[in-house]
Amino acid sequence: MPKFIPFLLAGLALPFLANAQDSETLTVYTHPSFAAEWGPGPGVKEAFEQQCDCTLDYVVLESGGDILQRLRLEGSSTGADVVLGLDTGTMETARQTGLLTTHNIGLDALDLPVDWNDPLFVPYDWGYFAFVYDTEQLPTPPESLEELVNSPDDPQIIIQDPRTSTPGLGLLLWMKAVYGDQAGEKWRALSDNILTTTKSWSDGYFSLFMNGEAPMILSYSTSPAYHMAIDKTDRYQAAQFKEGHYLQVEVAALVEPSDQKALAREFLQFILTPAFQRHIPLKNVMYPAIDLGDELPEVFDRLIQPEATLFIDPAEVAQQRQVWLDEWLNAMIP
Amino acid sequence: MQRSLSGSFPAPLSRPAWQVLPGLIIASVLLALTLTGLAALVWRAPLPAVSELWENRYLANVIRFTVWQAALSTIISLSLGLAIALALVRQPRFQGRSLLLRIMELSLVLPTIVAVSGLIGIYGRQGWLTTLVGDWTFASWDLYGLSGILLAHVFFNAPLAGRILLQTLESVPSPRRRVASQLGLRGWWLWRTLDWPAIRSVLPALCALVFTLCFTSFAIVMTLGGGPASTTLEVAIYQSLRFEFDFGRAALLAMVQLGICGALWLLVMRRSLTHDFAPDRRFAEIIRRPDCRGATRFRDRALLFTFSLFLMLPLAAILLRGLPGLATVAFEAGDPLFDLANATLRSFAIALPAGAFSVMSGLLILTLASRGRAFSKISSIASALPLMVPPIVLGTGLFLLLRPALGQPSEGLALVALINGLMALPFVTQLLKGPLTALDENTLHQADQLGLLGWYRWRWLHWPRLRRPMALAMAYGTALSLGDFGVIALFGTPGQPTLPVLLYQQLGSYRMELAAGTALWLITMLLLVFAAFNLASHERGQRKRSENTIETLTEARHA
Repeated sequence: MPKFIPFLLAGLALPFLANAQDSETLTVYTHPSFAAEWGPGPGVKEAFEQQCDCTLDYVVLESGGDILQRLRLEGSSTGADVVLGLDTGTMETARQTGLLTTHNIGLDALDLPVDWNDPLFVPYDWGYFAFVYDTEQLPTPPESLEELVNSPDDPQIIIQDPRTSTPGLGLLLWMKAVYGDQAGEKWRALSDNILTTTKSWSDGYFSLFMNGEAPMILSYSTSPAYHMAIDKTDRYQAAQFKEGHYLQVEVAALVEPSDQKALAREFLQFILTPAFQRHIPLKNVMYPAIDLGDELPEVFDRLIQPEATLFIDPAEVAQQRQVWLDEWLNAMIP
Repeated sequence: MQRSLSGSFPAPLSRPAWQVLPGLIIASVLLALTLTGLAALVWRAPLPAVSELWENRYLANVIRFTVWQAALSTIISLSLGLAIALALVRQPRFQGRSLLLRIMELSLVLPTIVAVSGLIGIYGRQGWLTTLVGDWTFASWDLYGLSGILLAHVFFNAPLAGRILLQTLESVPSPRRRVASQLGLRGWWLWRTLDWPAIRSVLPALCALVFTLCFTSFAIVMTLGGGPASTTLEVAIYQSLRFEFDFGRAALLAMVQLGICGALWLLVMRRSLTHDFAPDRRFAEIIRRPDCRGATRFRDRALLFTFSLFLMLPLAAILLRGLPGLATVAFEAGDPLFDLANATLRSFAIALPAGAFSVMSGLLILTLASRGRAFSKISSIASALPLMVPPIVLGTGLFLLLRPALGQPSEGLALVALINGLMALPFVTQLLKGPLTALDENTLHQADQLGLLGWYRWRWLHWPRLRRPMALAMAYGTALSLGDFGVIALFGTPGQPTLPVLLYQQLGSYRMELAAGTALWLITMLLLVFAAFNLASHERGQRKRSENTIETLTEARHA
């Protein structure tokens, strides 16, 4: 027992010592699931610091939206060199701030289901939105979005609010990509199946889904990988839908006002190497952005393989988001 | 040089300025923070036209729904709270009474995600009670919708209301109670002469408090509300600020919220019925009420038992769910234990100063209130403000204003402690108000004549009376900060989580079992805070006993 007392004291003192170092420091704004003890953050930090002779510091904000908001609030005096944790839903808004600059690195190593040559954003992982279901409650899940929409009021699903959550917005775009102008009436048809709409993914997954409240929840096609590899259970699986699945790409970018641009570019380059990417599959529970070959954990072969990748150009999403949100609201509020 | 009458040096801190200035500064800081926070938002983007509020169907619906659910929640919470308080006052020897009181204190500070998980474990579709009732009867209920929101709000607020009303009812002077007992008053007459006059003065302020808490409720309303039809104003503010970066709209909505809740508080104040929420907790001898026996006794006990179950079952669900997680933390080799210990220490490093700051500023603000009508108004408004201003608006305003000065992460953490302290102010002032203002004119006059001023007055007159309420206030301040997620998330943590942040990190990384363990640990810490401060305030039992003797003597004279 006594051996961890110094450790505890160090924990108390850490906030005051955080800036006491000589070498260069790269500050990365990110969100909790990346920087958490169990996320890829610590491993990535260690690997990068070994090669750069610098210190990598994370500033952890609540979500991708918060990273963007913090950036906007700080403007040109921001302390960030790199932002990591924006996604295809927020990157256009981020582009419009004018606070990001070109990465100037080669993207040939990328292995995404879509073509990617964005000058600002470097993808670091990706995944499909999917409904994860509990095989004990629901032996035969719907095989298509259409089947789910048309089923009277069973199975019940838990979704997240597109106004406050990334997967929530993902489903909104998924419905839009599949149904176009009919999305509104399809939402109305789907609403009988919606048990509730939570503020965040965590609220729904922890409070409701893991308590057995509903057999299905909006999540990622990669979620079962975690349960299979770490929890050692096949109980939770993703339902494969015939229409295809909507793609989410998570990205990093270089911050314009940064005075560490060279180091920041080195980090962005590092993102596309196995030293970074090997931490993604089981720690961020997403697909790596490059081909990891044999290093990709075996459970990833057992995930669903969508027949089609649905993706709406982020610029169009940014332009239409408010209209689509209003359409959703009108459909859901009787 | 001013010298005191006795010719010696004046008592330390006895200048009138000392009793006004610090409180005035804190009150002004609060008012200024709110105004500049809003102004900072408006300065970034112009306000939208006010007519959008009623022309936009969505916004109009949001406002209507927010008021409606808050009003319903307030009515139910207060009615249940009153029934519980009456039952507790009729049955002072109810077994498990003190445990029930601790749990009633705890319910207010439970982090929502944890409480919701517990409620769902009992009342959800697969919850214990739902399954049990479903197996034995044909009855069933749907938690999601208005009913779920009301259930959760009653779970949080009925204990708060009951706790405050109980203390009010117990503060009825003993002679009155004795007379009522001798006359054998019952039913309506007892209510009319004893109970109603006592609670009448607290009720408006209590209504305003519970209404504001329900009005600004956020995650609960979304999770249990079932869909976007159940959206509160706070959700719309969050949405405008975090996702649409529409600062103008956020400011407008925040002003609507401030306007509605502020009007209610002003109304309460104008009728000058604001009263101490927590009167002296001096229980003189127990005087049996005429209506404590027979069928009433049975009914009261049944009610108290049911209410205890209502509060404790969700806690039991959290306990059961969290135990395996805690076991993993304890026995799994590696970091989880260190993480938990570190996060606990860091949380307390923020929460204890936050609690102390809130008690100190609460006292200073209350001292201000005794210095004239204008000051009294400022003090009441300032201490209710933290409830009405959305924290995210306050935080954003603060951030915009203080950004150039914010260098070190540790300064960010200090700021978190400071804001947490301010957030606890509405509760802390309500707890301290009574004991601080309960001294009668004669005593004060006598103290003046004796030259008992400044520090000495505080040490010998107020401190003995304030010891226990201050301990409870400190417990509330600390516990509220301990469970806070909003403010700390806003300022960002340099990779070093507090307990609630750790909980969210675990959730974000699929560590559901660990998260359940952390939740249980967090609740244990909260209970520990209440128990520890309760114990600390009990240390000097002798003093209390001597007070009681004097009271008993004076009572005997009156009787």
